[in-house]
Amino acid sequence: MSVATDVMDAGGIGTFNLEHGFPEAVVRGFRSGLLTDYDYHHLTQCETLEDMKMNLQETDYDQFMSNEQHITPASFREKALQKLVQEMDFLRAHAVEPLATFLDYISYEFMIDNVMLLLKGTLSGRSANELIKQCNPLGLFKESTMRSIPTFEASPKGYADLYQTVLIDTPVGPYFSQYLEDSAEHLGDASEMRNILEEVQIEVGGKAGVTGAGAWSGPTMAERKLLRGCAMGHGTGVGSVGASRGLIRSARVHFREDDTRRSPLASHQVIKNSLHKLYLEDFYRVTQAIGGETANFMGHLIMLRADRMAINITVNSIGTPLNEPAMRSTRHKLYPAVGYLYPAGTARLADVTDENNIEYALSAVPEYQKLYASLAGLKDKTLEDVFYEQDVRAFEMAFDGQMHFASFYAYVKLKEQEIRNLVWIAECILQGQKEEINKFVPIFSDSAPWRLAGKVGR
Amino acid sequence: MSSATEMVCVSPLCNLGWTEVLMFMSPYGWGQYGVAFALGLSIVGAAWGIWTTGSTLVGASIKAPRIKSKNLVSIIFCEATAIYGVILAIILLNKVSAPSGTYTFDPATWDWANMYHAGYATFFSGVSVGMTNIASGVAVGIAGSSCALADAQDGSLFVKILIVEIFASALGIFGIIVGEISTLKLDTTSFNEFIF
Repeated sequence: MSVATDVMDAGGIGTFNLEHGFPEAVVRGFRSGLLTDYDYHHLTQCETLEDMKMNLQETDYDQFMSNEQHITPASFREKALQKLVQEMDFLRAHAVEPLATFLDYISYEFMIDNVMLLLKGTLSGRSANELIKQCNPLGLFKESTMRSIPTFEASPKGYADLYQTVLIDTPVGPYFSQYLEDSAEHLGDASEMRNILEEVQIEVGGKAGVTGAGAWSGPTMAERKLLRGCAMGHGTGVGSVGASRGLIRSARVHFREDDTRRSPLASHQVIKNSLHKLYLEDFYRVTQAIGGETANFMGHLIMLRADRMAINITVNSIGTPLNEPAMRSTRHKLYPAVGYLYPAGTARLADVTDENNIEYALSAVPEYQKLYASLAGLKDKTLEDVFYEQDVRAFEMAFDGQMHFASFYAYVKLKEQEIRNLVWIAECILQGQKEEINKFVPIFSDSAPWRLAGKVGR
Repeated sequence: MSSATEMVCVSPLCNLGWTEVLMFMSPYGWGQYGVAFALGLSIVGAAWGIWTTGSTLVGASIKAPRIKSKNLVSIIFCEATAIYGVILAIILLNKVSAPSGTYTFDPATWDWANMYHAGYATFFSGVSVGMTNIASGVAVGIAGSSCALADAQDGSLFVKILIVEIFASALGIFGIIVGEISTLKLDTTSFNEFIF
């Protein structure tokens, strides 16, 4: 199962630039447009969103909000994403193989998110127009495709129909077919599958925990949590199910236990995780086929991502049916077959029963064990926050080398983080929560913890 | 091939083996091949370097237009490797003088040692210059590509990386020095004696 059947070699130090020198230099030019410490300092001093808009005009964002009448934090996200999409379109137009395939792969992650968003949206009965507006513009399909996705029902038959009539023509089709195949194998005959594969809603609460939650008053906090969850959830893909250690206990699970036919197997998150797992494994294979420095840098980045996904699935499953002994093999299947944790670490994660033995499971990779253990000492940080920092650090490092594709991937991911930062700052300004405003993850910052410490690990 | 079927050639004109291709090749042939390799390989190196630097430079100047004139220095460094090749090709061509006509057909009177020296020295002078200039051109090109990217991020890095490029460029000069010296003592008249 693979989207790209044949991937060319990107060439080494002597030949890479012959075909990919131009796009690589362009993406590095874009990277220098990321907001600096100086810009963030000015943004955090703003009193209103109008101020923020004025300050952003001094940066690479320039006039991106000039036509906006009513400024909200969401409009910052929308416009910034639009700018990113334009940049990616520019790069894609100048890319030749294998860079073209690589850039497409970056967008598949967002495509999977969009399909799942459209499917989930129909369950809550929202209109197609509203849903399409919410989709991440980095992974859009054709208009007709987007409109037809919500018309399918969220049942095994619906999924099969969806695949056969719509998704088979899209780049992410192979992941769906693989998923359907895997679940059919798992369940035996089709009629049984139809009964079992029905939607259950496992909503692992608070997609991203709000830091320093105590500072918030009731209604605003819930609202902000939702907003931040939206801002982060769409961007993070596999990480969107992340929850803090503290939130694990309060994870809200709506599992209709009375209906024994229903299994969490087909729950929305499980499908989404399965697709992302298949995507990551395929992407890993492609980056290794591209070879050279790309294989080194991207291998590391995808492995980090896969590990993060495995840890998040485990942490979020605690207190949900997925953690029941009978379901642990299902959980094990969701762990990607790449990463530093695979296979020894994921095997241990599969046996995790509660949060106390997560640390033991992570001991397969001392870095993660340390990361997880350090959480106990950090009162106002969640696991998600720590992962965001780890990601930013890893993505920054992709720019330390030349003649490889990881800088394209890292640029998109860093830009996503920047957009999250913008939304966070805008939210804090809007709500008058100035003391929280500095809790974002700056990019290429001189005051980043890993630069201040001057050594690996904290 | 067994030894029983091997024929022993007794004629003075029979071939000794494939090495005769090298032994009896005209010094003119060797000389002109030397010129071709010196020029051709140097230009391959220069073109490779210019392409490597140029593609990066064009891309990087989109977001940082100020670098575009400064970084032409990297392109000029690559171009220099082609010029080294041209210089040596011209020097070598001058050493290969045209036949004067006062030759004899009797190989017994030929100055074999000097003819070998003239042919081989000219050829390998050209090859060594060509090879060093490919290496130099690619090295300058890669350093120049990094130089453009670094300059686009931080202007103070330009001069520092330029020094790296100068060292890469010096590699080509080593080739041209040795190439020139190896043909210095060449007896140019030995080309004249030769006719085949």
